[in-house]
Amino acid sequence: MADLANILAVGILLGGTYALVSVGLNLIFGVIRVVNFAQGEFVMLGMYGAYAAYAVLGLDPAVALLVVLPALFVLGAALQRLVLARLRTEPTMQIFATFGLLMLIENAVLAATRGTAYSVPSAVAQASLSVGGVQVGASRLLALAAATLAAAGLGLFLRRTMLGRAIRAVAQDSAAARLMGVDVERIYWLTFGIGTALAGLAGCLLAPIYSLSPQIGTSFILPAFAVVVLGGLGSVLGAYVGGFIVGLTEAFAGYYLDPALKHAVLFAVFIGVLIVRPSGLFGQVGAEEVGLREQS
Amino acid sequence: MSNPEMAIPITRAPPVAAATAARAPLRTFWGELPRALLLLAGLAALVYAASGDNFSLNILASSFLFAGLASAWNIIGGFGGQFSLAHSVFFAVGAYTTANLYLKLGLSPWLGLVPAFLLAAAVAMLVSWPVFRLRGPFFAIATMAFTEVALAIGNYAEWLTGGTRGLSIPFRLGVGNMIFRDRMSYALLMLGFCALTLIVVVAVHRSRLGYYLQAVRDNEQAARASGVSVLRVKLTGMAISAGLTGIGGGLFFMQVRVADPAALLSLFDFGVKFALIALIGGLGSVYGPVLGALVIIPLESWLRAELGGLLPGANLIVLSLLLIGAALFMKHGIVGLGRGLAARVAAGRSTGDRA
Amino acid sequence: MTALLSVEGLSKRFGGLLAVNDVSFSVAPGELVSIIGPNGAGKTTLFNLLTGQLLPSTGRVRCDGHDITRLSPNRRARLGLGRTFQISQTLTSLTVLENAMVGAFLHHRGLKDAARKAEEALALVGLDHRAGVRAGILTLSERRRLEVARALALEPRIVLLDEVMAGLNPTEVEEIVALVERLNAEGHTFLVIEHNLKVVRRFSRRVIVIERGAMLADGTAAAVLDDPRVVEAYIGRPRAA
Repeated sequence: MADLANILAVGILLGGTYALVSVGLNLIFGVIRVVNFAQGEFVMLGMYGAYAAYAVLGLDPAVALLVVLPALFVLGAALQRLVLARLRTEPTMQIFATFGLLMLIENAVLAATRGTAYSVPSAVAQASLSVGGVQVGASRLLALAAATLAAAGLGLFLRRTMLGRAIRAVAQDSAAARLMGVDVERIYWLTFGIGTALAGLAGCLLAPIYSLSPQIGTSFILPAFAVVVLGGLGSVLGAYVGGFIVGLTEAFAGYYLDPALKHAVLFAVFIGVLIVRPSGLFGQVGAEEVGLREQS
Repeated sequence: MSNPEMAIPITRAPPVAAATAARAPLRTFWGELPRALLLLAGLAALVYAASGDNFSLNILASSFLFAGLASAWNIIGGFGGQFSLAHSVFFAVGAYTTANLYLKLGLSPWLGLVPAFLLAAAVAMLVSWPVFRLRGPFFAIATMAFTEVALAIGNYAEWLTGGTRGLSIPFRLGVGNMIFRDRMSYALLMLGFCALTLIVVVAVHRSRLGYYLQAVRDNEQAARASGVSVLRVKLTGMAISAGLTGIGGGLFFMQVRVADPAALLSLFDFGVKFALIALIGGLGSVYGPVLGALVIIPLESWLRAELGGLLPGANLIVLSLLLIGAALFMKHGIVGLGRGLAARVAAGRSTGDRA
Repeated sequence: MTALLSVEGLSKRFGGLLAVNDVSFSVAPGELVSIIGPNGAGKTTLFNLLTGQLLPSTGRVRCDGHDITRLSPNRRARLGLGRTFQISQTLTSLTVLENAMVGAFLHHRGLKDAARKAEEALALVGLDHRAGVRAGILTLSERRRLEVARALALEPRIVLLDEVMAGLNPTEVEEIVALVERLNAEGHTFLVIEHNLKVVRRFSRRVIVIERGAMLADGTAAAVLDDPRVVEAYIGRPRAA
C-alpha cells in the first residue's frame, strides 16, 4: 500500500514536471503546426539562465524568472521570424531546421561552459514534506503547482483575451483568420515566443532539481513529445493530462519492471498510441492530418 | 478494352515546340551505371593518391562509409520522403549481428555481413510497418522514439551488446577476420561498401520501385490512384535502405572493434548525420549523398582537429549551422547548386528558349 | 454482366446525414456517362465511394465483373479503374513523362516499356511536347490533362473524371471536352462527374442526375436536361444553354 502511494506520488510529481516541459511545445504545435525538436533546448537554456542569474546576481531561480522569461520570449520570436517563417510549406526542412537548432544550442552551451556541470541552489530545493509516509520534494511540488498554473493560465489566456482568441483562430484555420483581419505572421512569432518562454519557465523551476548539463535538453524532448501525443496535439488540457500519463507510466514501469527499461516501456506505449490514435487521447481526431495537409 | 496502339494526331503541340522542348533521354540502369562507375573510379584514385598518408586514408575510409550510409538513408528518406531517425538502430543491428557471429560462432565478418543485411532489413520492416501510417514529423518522432527504446534494450541486453561497458573484438590480424594493420585496406573496404550502395541506389532509382517511391513522396493519394500499394513500396524501400545500413554497421564495428550502445545509437553521430549528409549533398538525388559525405566528413574531422581542443562541441556547432543554412537556402544541396549553375549556363547560351 | 461498372443500391450515411441514398446504375463499355447535380447533392461522396476513398454503408460496386465495394484505391486501379482528382494531384517533383510513367508501370514493369506507354498517353492528351518539364510548373489545364494521361497510362477499363473542367477558362474547357469526346470515340469508357451543365450538354450523351443523394433522372442528355424536375433541382441559377 505504501509502495503504491509512493509510486503514485513519484508518478504525479514527475508528471507535473513533464506537463510543465510540454505546455509550450504543444502550444507551438497547435498553432504553428511546427514540431519543434529544439523545445528541450529552450528548457535547458532556461536552466542555465537560472544558474547565470544565481551566479552573477545571486538571484533565486523563482526570481530569475523575471529575466529568463522575457529573454527566451525574444529568442523564440526571433527564431520564428528568421528561420521557421521561411519554411512554412516545407515540413521536411522544418525537421532539419529545428533539429539543427537542437544541435546548435546544445553544443553552443557545451562550448560556453566547457562541459562543466552546475547545480543551482534554491531556498525551496532542499525542503521536503512527508505526507502519510511519502517523501515529497518541495521543488517537484513547485513544478507541479507551476504546471497547473501555467496550464490554467494559458487556457484562460486563450479563451478570454483578444490575443488568445486570435491565436485560437489561427490554430483552427489560419487562412480564414487571415481573411478576418488577423495578422497571422504576428500571431506566429508571438506564439513561438510564448511557447519558448514557457520552456524557460520550466527550466527555471526545474534548475534546482537537476544537475545542469548541455545534454539535458535532449533528454526532455522525447518525453515531451510523448506527453503531447498522448495528451492530444494542440490541446492545453491534453498536454497537462498527458504529463501525468507519462509520469505515471514511467514510475510504474520503473518499479514493476527493471528501472533500466522504464524509458523503453514509456516509448513503446507512446509509439503504440501514436499508431492507434495519432491525434492523442484528448486531441481532436484528425488534427494531425489537418496540420500536415495544411503544410504540404 | 480497345486501347489504340497508335498515337493519333494531336490537337495542339505544333512540331516546332516538340523539337525545342528540352528533353533528357530516358536513362536506364545500364545507361546510368557508367556515371556511377566513373565517380567510384575517381574515389579509387583518391585512395591511390593518399597511399602512405594514414591520416588522409582514415578520413577517406570514414567518408566512404558515410557516403554509403547516407546513400542508403536517401533511398527511403530522399526518394521515399520518409524522414527516418531510426537508421542508427539498423546500423547497430548490423554491427551487433556481425560482431556477435564473429565472436561467438567464429563466423568470418565477410559472411556475417549477409545476416547483418537481412536482420537489419527485417527489424526495419517490423518496426516501420505500423509506423508508416504516420506522416512527416510524426514519422520522424516515432522513429526517434525507437532509437530510445533500442538504446534502453541495448544497455539492458548485456549478453548481446556488452551493456554500457561495450563490446570489443580482439585484434587478430587476417583478411578472413577483416582486421588489417594498414589503413589502405580499410579505405578500400569502405570504398567497396560505398560502391555496393551506390550501385544499389542507381538500380533502385532507375526502376519501377524508384519511381513509385518518389510518387509516394510527392503525393500518396495520386500514387494509390495509379495502382501503387503505398505501404508495400515504403516497406520495400525501407528494407533495402536499412539492410545496406546494417552492412555499414557491421563494417564500422569491425573497423573500430569496440563500441557501446550509446555510441552506436547516437543521433548526432549516426541517425541525424545520415540525413544531414544527404541534405547537404542533395536530398533525393543519386550522387548527392556521396558528394555530401566527401564534403562533410573531411570538414568535420578538420574542425575537430582545429577547434575540438579549443572549444568542445565546436565542430557540431559548425555542422548545425550548415544544417540550418542548407534547410533555409540550399534545399537541393550541392547537386541542386550544380544543376542551377548548369541551367544558368544553358540559359545564357540559348536566349530564345522559353521559361 | 456486360456492364463495365455497376452500382447497386449504394448508400453512404454520415451520422444522421444520408449523403448518398440507394443509387443504382451501370456503365456499358464505350459509354460516356455524366453524373450531374447541384452543389452538395452528393456527387463527390458518390465519386469517393466509386474510387475507394470512402467505403459505402450499404450497396455494391462492381468493375468488370469484380466486386470492388471494399477494395483499396490501388486495388481498384489494378482492376481497371482510372481516375482524376478534382483538386489536381500531380507528382510535382517529377517530370510530365515520369508522372505518366507512374501510371504506365502498372502493366509495364520495364523502364523503357513504361516510358513508351507513357509517351503514348501523353500524345493522346496533347502533352507530349511538355514531356521533359517538371509537372510542378504546368498550368492548371495542363495538369488536368496530365492526370487524364496518367489514368490512361493505367490502360484502364473505365476512367472516372472528377470535375475536370473546374477552374478552367472557356477555351480550356472546350479543349478538354474535345479531348474526352475524342477519347470516347476511340473506345475509352468515361464516367464524368460534372457541375457545369453547359459541359454536360456538349457531351450530349447519357446523363444521370443526383439530387439530395438520390438519383433523380437517368437518360439522354436532351431528355434529362429538359426534365422539369431537373430544372427544378437547379433552380436559382439560370439554366445554362
